[in-house]
Amino acid sequence: MIVTAMAALAKRTDRFSEADIDEEIVVMMLDTGQFFSLSGTSAAIWRLIDGQRDRAAVLASLTGAFHGEEQAVTKDLDEFLATLREMGLLVD
Amino acid sequence: MDRSAAELMMQRETAVQYGPVPHSLSGEPLAEMSWQMLGGAFLLRGEGEHYFLYRKGDGVTVERGPDADVSEESLWLNGSVYAAVASLNGLLPIHASAVAHDGRVFAFSGPAGAGKSTLVAALGRHGLPLFCDDTLVLDLSDPERIVCLPGHKRLKLRPDAIGLTGAMPQEKVSKTVDKHYALPATGEVGVALPLGELIFLEERPEPAIMPITGAERLVRLQDDHYTARLFDSARKFDRAAQFAHLARLARQIAMARFVRPLDRDRFDEGVALAARHVAQP
Repeated sequence: MIVTAMAALAKRTDRFSEADIDEEIVVMMLDTGQFFSLSGTSAAIWRLIDGQRDRAAVLASLTGAFHGEEQAVTKDLDEFLATLREMGLLVD
Repeated sequence: MDRSAAELMMQRETAVQYGPVPHSLSGEPLAEMSWQMLGGAFLLRGEGEHYFLYRKGDGVTVERGPDADVSEESLWLNGSVYAAVASLNGLLPIHASAVAHDGRVFAFSGPAGAGKSTLVAALGRHGLPLFCDDTLVLDLSDPERIVCLPGHKRLKLRPDAIGLTGAMPQEKVSKTVDKHYALPATGEVGVALPLGELIFLEERPEPAIMPITGAERLVRLQDDHYTARLFDSARKFDRAAQFAHLARLARQIAMARFVRPLDRDRFDEGVALAARHVAQP
């Protein structure tokens, strides 16, 4: 399936539970019970995926938050989105 | 002194009577040293024909067969039966021993043999009264805070721990358990108090206490002790509810790791460190 650049990014909320603990976000996969934690850039991206923003909007927010390190932030964003898609946590 | 609703409930629900009980709840035979939990009831079989039945609202009924080891009875009642009654009534029993300081509870958790009882007994020499030994029951009914019920078990120590801790030895626990009951040096606290910190015991060459943060708090709460299995069986949470339960605890309970050598010559050094940690503002 082709995802257009303008498509809003949305999580598959039926596939996980999440909790904020201190500065980390803990995400549990409902089908396996396994969980992982997010911090730093990945936590920021996770919070920005709200069903409203597309990739460009997420990137713009991140670039602002991380003081313009656009190249590094873009790489982090695309890698993290790819991981979330592999895990089935993003709406296609 | 006023007692909390949870304390009064536990007092009522753990009242013991003697008489015949069914030998199975599920229809399946119950092996020695095992239990069944079904429909708000709990049935435990000790050694031989020694059964313990709890039903909500009815208290605990004990059936002593001819081969029942009566010297073990209080251990069953205060161990699995008490934890099951707590779990079936919405309380959370955890595997920890604790002291009290400044109106809060500081609980030490770790696997069997980690030194929980020995440590809390020794903290009595630093003026910290015992709150509970081996099992700490948490009342989660107030969403804003976690309250600990005062201990229901007497302090038990191995013979070698008596001298280390300054506790006063009492009678032997049972024929088969190589421990003695003991009186802690600074006495015990008998009122419900909020939980201050949950501290996990580990063995390392040098004593240190470090905070536990983030996701590790949630990981630390995943316990395979019998108290956790009883709670899981009673609550029957699905994955999402279990995660929400653990996340709430992880958010609300301050946690630390207490590492120290399991070396008698350095025991007092570790205890002093723990005492300073508990007493810090």
